[in-house]
Amino acid sequence: MPRHSRYRRSAIGIVVLTAALAAACGGPGSSSTQSADAGAVLTQKPTCGTDPVTLSGYFETGFPMTKALTDEFSKQFPNVKWDIREDQFAVITQNAPRMLADDPPDLMRLPQVSELVKDNLLRNLDGYAGVFGWNSWPASQLEQLRMKPGGGARGAGSLFAMGLNFSITGVFYNKTLAARIGMTTPPATLVEFDAALAKAKQAGITPIVQFNGGATGGFAFPLQNLMAAYGQPGPINDWIFQKPGATIDTPPNQKAAQHLQDWIKAGYFTADANAMDYAKMMSEFQAGGGLFMFNGDWESGNLDKQMAGKVGFFPLPTEQGGKVVTMSAPLTVGIAAKAKHADCAAFFLNWVATNADARRIAVQVGGSHPMGPADAPMPQIEQGTVTAATLAAGARIAQDNGAMDFIANATGSIYAKSWTPQLQKLFAGQQTPQGLLQSVQSDYKTQVGS
Amino acid sequence: MAGATLTPSAERTEVRPKGAKATGRAPRHGQRWIGWLFAAPAIAVYTVFVLAPMVQTVRYSFYQWDGIGSSPWVGFANYVRVFTDPELVGTIVHAFELIVFFSGIPVLLGLAIAATIRRIATSRLAAVARAVLFIPQVIPLVAAGIAWTWLLSSDGLVNQLLSAIGLGGVTRAWLGDFATALPAVGVIGAWVLLGLCTLLLLAGMSKIDPALYEAGRLDGAGPLREFFSITVPNLRQEIGVCVTVTVIAALASFDIIYIATQGGPGNTTMVPGLEIYYRAFVERQVGVASALGVVLVVLVLVCVLPIQRLTREES
Amino acid sequence: MIVRGREAWTGRVFLVLLMVATIVPFVSLFLTALHPSGTYPAGLDWPSDPQWGNFLTAFNAAHMGELLTSSALIVLGVVPISLLVATMAGFAIGHLKMAGRRVVFLAFVLGLTLPFESIITPLYYQIRDMGLLNTRWAIILPLVGLFMPFGVFWMRAHFVTVPGEISEAAHIDGATSWQQFWRIQVPLAMPAISSLAILLFLWTWNQFLLAIVLVDDPTQRTMAGALGAFQGQWGTDIPLLCAGSLLVLTPTFVVFLIFQRRFAAALLQGSLKG
Repeated sequence: MPRHSRYRRSAIGIVVLTAALAAACGGPGSSSTQSADAGAVLTQKPTCGTDPVTLSGYFETGFPMTKALTDEFSKQFPNVKWDIREDQFAVITQNAPRMLADDPPDLMRLPQVSELVKDNLLRNLDGYAGVFGWNSWPASQLEQLRMKPGGGARGAGSLFAMGLNFSITGVFYNKTLAARIGMTTPPATLVEFDAALAKAKQAGITPIVQFNGGATGGFAFPLQNLMAAYGQPGPINDWIFQKPGATIDTPPNQKAAQHLQDWIKAGYFTADANAMDYAKMMSEFQAGGGLFMFNGDWESGNLDKQMAGKVGFFPLPTEQGGKVVTMSAPLTVGIAAKAKHADCAAFFLNWVATNADARRIAVQVGGSHPMGPADAPMPQIEQGTVTAATLAAGARIAQDNGAMDFIANATGSIYAKSWTPQLQKLFAGQQTPQGLLQSVQSDYKTQVGS
Repeated sequence: MAGATLTPSAERTEVRPKGAKATGRAPRHGQRWIGWLFAAPAIAVYTVFVLAPMVQTVRYSFYQWDGIGSSPWVGFANYVRVFTDPELVGTIVHAFELIVFFSGIPVLLGLAIAATIRRIATSRLAAVARAVLFIPQVIPLVAAGIAWTWLLSSDGLVNQLLSAIGLGGVTRAWLGDFATALPAVGVIGAWVLLGLCTLLLLAGMSKIDPALYEAGRLDGAGPLREFFSITVPNLRQEIGVCVTVTVIAALASFDIIYIATQGGPGNTTMVPGLEIYYRAFVERQVGVASALGVVLVVLVLVCVLPIQRLTREES
Repeated sequence: MIVRGREAWTGRVFLVLLMVATIVPFVSLFLTALHPSGTYPAGLDWPSDPQWGNFLTAFNAAHMGELLTSSALIVLGVVPISLLVATMAGFAIGHLKMAGRRVVFLAFVLGLTLPFESIITPLYYQIRDMGLLNTRWAIILPLVGLFMPFGVFWMRAHFVTVPGEISEAAHIDGATSWQQFWRIQVPLAMPAISSLAILLFLWTWNQFLLAIVLVDDPTQRTMAGALGAFQGQWGTDIPLLCAGSLLVLTPTFVVFLIFQRRFAAALLQGSLKG
């Protein structure tokens, strides 16, 4: 077979050549990191001017608030037009670094800022914060969006993003189903909540509808609410903010994960939770398919419309009741470092927090508390609505200093690559509560370390 | 042309590399170099958009790089990770499990079906079937993924049918269950490839000399013996083609899984193609992604070359 | 004869079952698309009030008009260039017997099995540095390169069967190589070229990975890539998603129905060679 061997020799030649070429070059990428802009001090409030401007935005699909805000903004400032792209949150998370680096939008919904700041992909907003007076707002609103330029722990330093409003999470309940098990007021302790779950199960009502499918494990909501019920927000925030030495594998969190597993074993969730996506959960809850749902107040406006008067909300109570702790995070929006219309984008962000119409939209359409100064006017809300209940709970949390960031925001990939698969395994009975936390912690270490 | 529909014509004998025999005469000397002018555009575009990136993939695989900043040389560390990190090894294992579905079902079932419908291959029904069975090959895999995601969901048709025949107990969200997600994805792939394999094998069967079957009948061979002693041996090449195409489809799968499961639940359906995408563009571990990319190229070659040899050598 | 009759019947039953299995997913898509937007219908279920408007909604939401234009432009970019370049190379390797053809051909053949995922990462940075990210060229140029292995392989297989006498005769007439190629060889190769054209059209139209990595704007993508974006944005609304998927399917489907026989032949030959 002389022909065969000749082919083989050529083939080997090609392979060797490839390898040699590959080895001959240096490493990819630039070793000189561009200097982080320090958020230069501004002397004048930026505006959108009077010339036609088209702001580009990349937002989350399925939430009408952004559209309502941008429409209202264009109404007030007719020279501003919008070029908006929308995607599901998981898709945005995947695209964030690439978009910001290579196709920078003016405004972008962000998962979390740590890696993005490290790579200098986000505009430092300190200059804007200075002239607009954002630093005099309640500090907790912006804490999660602060970081030392160039990287480090989150929670303090320069401002790298803003919120369109800030949300809290907790438990929504179907009042009609609650009446059937004799639950007339929200449970005051974790024990009472457990009792309600058991009663619902006995009555043939699905106790909890919760999504846990696809790339976003929604069991992170009940898990973190349970963490809040057993422990303090401080250590969890330290972990999320990537403070040195922080761990998620703590005794209170182990109790929380154990408690979640008890719920799973008791059959409190729908059997197809691992295949249920967010939209399906919403559709099932609205159809009366379950008593409780762990979710955020961004759905309040929607639920007030779809199930008027039939839904209540409470933050998950702690073991003994009392102090209220829960996840609370701004609906984070950043300005790309290379954005074309950064000034106008910043002006928009300030407008969202301070303009009366914008604040009304933040509450009525968005369902959450607006950003802005503590004494800014609050829109009127009808009593007895879910929106009223979530806003009241938000005030309670602020008072108790019980806000913490979402555990899914610790690193760029911790949600999709660690929490989600691990929580799906926990639901399927293939992971233990201890194993869950250990595994997430070890992924976290490699992600933060590199 | 229409008459030649299912006969891949004389060209199929040309699959093997041939020497100068076909033209009979050695070409004039000048032509040997003019040829390069004709080939130059193809070589250029292939070099720039395929060979160069491949060289780059090999190069990236020796560095730790986040796609933006500087990149230290790490030698073979990325490759060590590919073969030791359980998640990365898992993707390779899953790809091989998918071969069972992407290749096994279409080839075996395709053989059985083709053998059964061989006798009616010229009927009008068969003509219609030929068009219908091609549809999965024509549509984007993304669409197949979307359609099947819906069929396999907890309220989907599959569960509806199971309940209807009294198997309500086994219904589940097939793509969301740890035990069934990978097989469910495999079924989608099998659906896409079954029609193509069946028709390829049927085309091959139509070229088998009918006299062989007549002789078999006279010897008293039943359909089963006929199948194993006449049909299968004569289809060596077509079977080889089916296996090659489907094995590559399994190892390099991306579209269907990206749409149907994104690699979940857990990591039960994570395959190399999707892992490369996530590592390179989401986690920004370009080095690891590239090492996995190189491993994937090698895996495909290691699987495909022996098949080529087995089916071509004696034919 | 009895045996034959029974065999024929089992054959028919098999065929029908196979066809049903092939078509059912589309029926399911169609029925689901008719349910009210935002609901979760169960399996195969004819809606009490069919929402034909969903197709219009999906058409607008997906910007179908722009998508069709975009995909058509990409196909118009990829297919003619690929055909010309691959035919020339196939001619050079298969007919002109150029010096060093063995190595060149082998380099192309090695690319036949290359998974696109393996080069997508460097391709991204390369396209970015060329400033082509988010343009249709980001899909067109790499695809032309990626189709070369198959294209050259396919065209070479045609040209090695062309008798040398044809070019000998042309040479006596004093035709240059280019004239010979263009006036004599290309017309003769038309059947092979048109089959290749069909395959390249299909593979371009359905290309997903390049589209989602290299182009963010769905209206600059291929049909499959746009469908991916549509799922990313509307995946939460099942009836709308199903309607959109069907709309995206329709163009390929129509083209397939028109050229059905050519498609089938090309696909079968294509896989035999590939």
